Amino acid sequence: MDTVKAQQWLIGIFSTLLIVILIIVASVEMKKSASEKPYVEIDKKSAQCITCHEKQNIAVKQVEAWKESKHAVMGIGCTECHAAEEGDFDAFKCPQSDVLVASHPTPKDCAECHDQEVEEFENSKHAHQFWLFANADRSIFENPISARHGCEQCHQISNVWPDGSVGECDACHPKHSFSIEVARQPETCGECHIGPDHPHIEIYNESKHGNIFAARGKDWDMNYNTTNNEPIPIEAPVCVTCHMDGNETQPMTHDVSARLAFESQAPWSFRTVWDEENLGTWEEKRGRMEAICASCHSPNFYKIYLLTADLVNLQYNEMRRMFVYWTKKLTKDGKISQIKVGDKTYSNPVINGWDEKPEELMYYAWHHEGRRFRHGAMMMGADYTQWHGIWELQEDMVEMITWAAEHGDAEAQKWVDSNHPSKFAPYALYDIPGSAWGIPTRTNTTPFLYNNYPDYWERIYANVEEAYKNNLLSKDQWELWLERYENRDHYLGTKYKDNEAVKELFDMYQKRNAIDKKAFNEQAVKLDLPGKPFYKK
Amino acid sequence: MSVKNWLKERFPIDYAKFIEINENIFMKEPIPNHLKKWYYCTGATPLILLALQIVTGILLTFYFMPSPEMAYESVRHITQDVRLGFWVRGLHRWGSNLMIIALLLHMTRVFFTASYQKPREINWMIGVILFFLTLTFSFTGYALTYNQLSYWATTVGTNMFDAVPVIGHSILVFMRGGEEVTANTLTRFFTFHVGMLPPLIILFLAMHIIILRIHGVSEPEGYEKGYYSFYPHHFYKIIIITLFVLCVLSTLTIIYPPGLGTPADPTVTPTHIKPEWYFFPTYRFLKLVPLNIGIIVSGLFVVGMIFWPFIEPMLSKNKSTRTKIAWVVGAMVIILTVGLSVWETVVA
Repeated sequence: MDTVKAQQWLIGIFSTLLIVILIIVASVEMKKSASEKPYVEIDKKSAQCITCHEKQNIAVKQVEAWKESKHAVMGIGCTECHAAEEGDFDAFKCPQSDVLVASHPTPKDCAECHDQEVEEFENSKHAHQFWLFANADRSIFENPISARHGCEQCHQISNVWPDGSVGECDACHPKHSFSIEVARQPETCGECHIGPDHPHIEIYNESKHGNIFAARGKDWDMNYNTTNNEPIPIEAPVCVTCHMDGNETQPMTHDVSARLAFESQAPWSFRTVWDEENLGTWEEKRGRMEAICASCHSPNFYKIYLLTADLVNLQYNEMRRMFVYWTKKLTKDGKISQIKVGDKTYSNPVINGWDEKPEELMYYAWHHEGRRFRHGAMMMGADYTQWHGIWELQEDMVEMITWAAEHGDAEAQKWVDSNHPSKFAPYALYDIPGSAWGIPTRTNTTPFLYNNYPDYWERIYANVEEAYKNNLLSKDQWELWLERYENRDHYLGTKYKDNEAVKELFDMYQKRNAIDKKAFNEQAVKLDLPGKPFYKK
Repeated sequence: MSVKNWLKERFPIDYAKFIEINENIFMKEPIPNHLKKWYYCTGATPLILLALQIVTGILLTFYFMPSPEMAYESVRHITQDVRLGFWVRGLHRWGSNLMIIALLLHMTRVFFTASYQKPREINWMIGVILFFLTLTFSFTGYALTYNQLSYWATTVGTNMFDAVPVIGHSILVFMRGGEEVTANTLTRFFTFHVGMLPPLIILFLAMHIIILRIHGVSEPEGYEKGYYSFYPHHFYKIIIITLFVLCVLSTLTIIYPPGLGTPADPTVTPTHIKPEWYFFPTYRFLKLVPLNIGIIVSGLFVVGMIFWPFIEPMLSKNKSTRTKIAWVVGAMVIILTVGLSVWETVVA
């Protein structure tokens, strides 16, 4: 072969080789750059577990989830969390490899790396076993097997493990992706915070926050980092935004109790004293929550909103006082009785009773209606404060007193016989002039109590002042309330009710209302069908 | 007054002379017959690609913002929101890749035809500088996307300078604008990429072309002597190559568009960090040998590459033996380059 030919061959072969191979290499790398999946380097031990799991088709999806986790990217493989020592409560010998494996990694294992998060969690009420302390034995009413997949499933979040750790991290961070995005979804909280006793997800969904999330949340990146004192990156909050995430002024926390000021799930609302040595007073906790509210709202709004919600909580206590009074009285009079064996009682007339109507009503008035009433007010769930809250609470009260009257209680009978409108407020009241939403003009002209008790606001003043004196309201809140009290004509809107513009508008709607009324009378009320009914009276 | 006369009044130059120079330098530039073969035209492709890089690069700077807060977001905006942004970005990214491949092809051709030999040694050296300038271009450009991969590639890339004796650390601090990869690094790389490297590459390119024109295109032995004019045959050949390169670029962009990755997070070090593929041979080599040896060998390789036209004559007095040794060296370098690249791609 002559030199020219050889040259041509060499250039031809190597050029082709370079073009083909390097374009393939570049394409492979370019494809990787577009891949959403992070690159994962699997260590030898993990590779052994994965190969076998895949071969035997055991929890293969968990392996896939792990591969997309931050753990995988950071090189945290199987044994880092599933390591076990002889004698560990969850140690078992993998039959295929003779390796000792921990079947239940606990918060103690997570704390190896996430010690701050685990410690914060341990100090939160998520980790508290309150349900085991007072009248624990629900099993007399709800049989034990039901508890397995019922209460125990949610309350696993406060499980005390044989290794002395508490909680269940993957209750929110699903195995094995441990995704922050999933943990942040309101539906994750809603796995437990749902249903008639604490419909938090439902309340959230009906709130403006939830509404914005429903409309726009699909476009939000929920994987954001919240530990750097940076602004909240999403347009409206999800549950964890207010209860856990950080912002410019607040650090991120796994202690969900750090920002809660009221124990509004308890039978009585009370200002929290939980872990005061670390978290401070209820006012400091409220301050933390307000610092989050301040990311989106002005103090003018959220301070009044929260004060009103606090007054709802206090109002609940006055209603609760009624239920406690009646169940205690009925128990004392022998009209209802406790469940017991010998001297040991299995029910409590002020916490739970299982078989008599007043006990059941008292229980619902706290555990279901009472919480909905309070939590709806705290989290913008108007329907839960109203129809699923106060309406049902009042129904419970009417039913309880009526039951007492039917069972021979003279005081109850007197209440039943009364025709006075004030009978539905047999307890002390709280109130605040106006709301956080704006100034109404006619809304406050109708209430019976406003119109028939000239000392209405003086009575309310006395109650709110008493709450303040008992540290149930802060000084700041009391001053806020006072400002409204002193300018109540403005905040109640009564000052504006006869303005020309208001009158004109109101008259116009009254006329329209008259037209409506006439129409429904003609179309429905006065309609008399000629075909007679089949039942003869 | 015609436009031509209007212009003549404003630019009173000797038009006949101008046309004559233009004819001599461009239109009737004598092109040796062997350039009718396609694979002898590889010198034009990097030039075409450079022009494309300048156009697409300018378009990208309309939207790109070189700050840690905005870099990733602006690249995302270009890719997802701006009309045809993904295409322009893809052309630019693929253009950089193809430019390196095109340069390798050009160097392969020059090497095996021994066109670096006297009196063209300087032009080979300038060519090698142009190659390294292109790599620097790519390295600084990749860092600007500020995703997790590029951030950590920048970190390890600049880290390599630390191993250079004596001045290494100073270079690292200069490149990064501090000890760490920060906002300073991003603004510096942006300045290098759009402010310093373009005039540098144009300067060296001008020298490369001027020297080429002074000496004329080297004529390999074994071809029938003879020339043809630059216009129209060679001119249209370059147009065809340009269109072909555009098609290839566009196709690659559509099939494998560059991704966004995840935003750079200096607090999270991935276990697996990789530079761009054109550094794979060096990267894989550095993994195979102790770092100091790796740096020294790589340094020697670069020096050897630059001074090759002077090294080659020293290899043997016999011209035929010299050629054979050169071919073996060239073949080994290419096989090593390809082999190490594939290795690094496959294991990761």
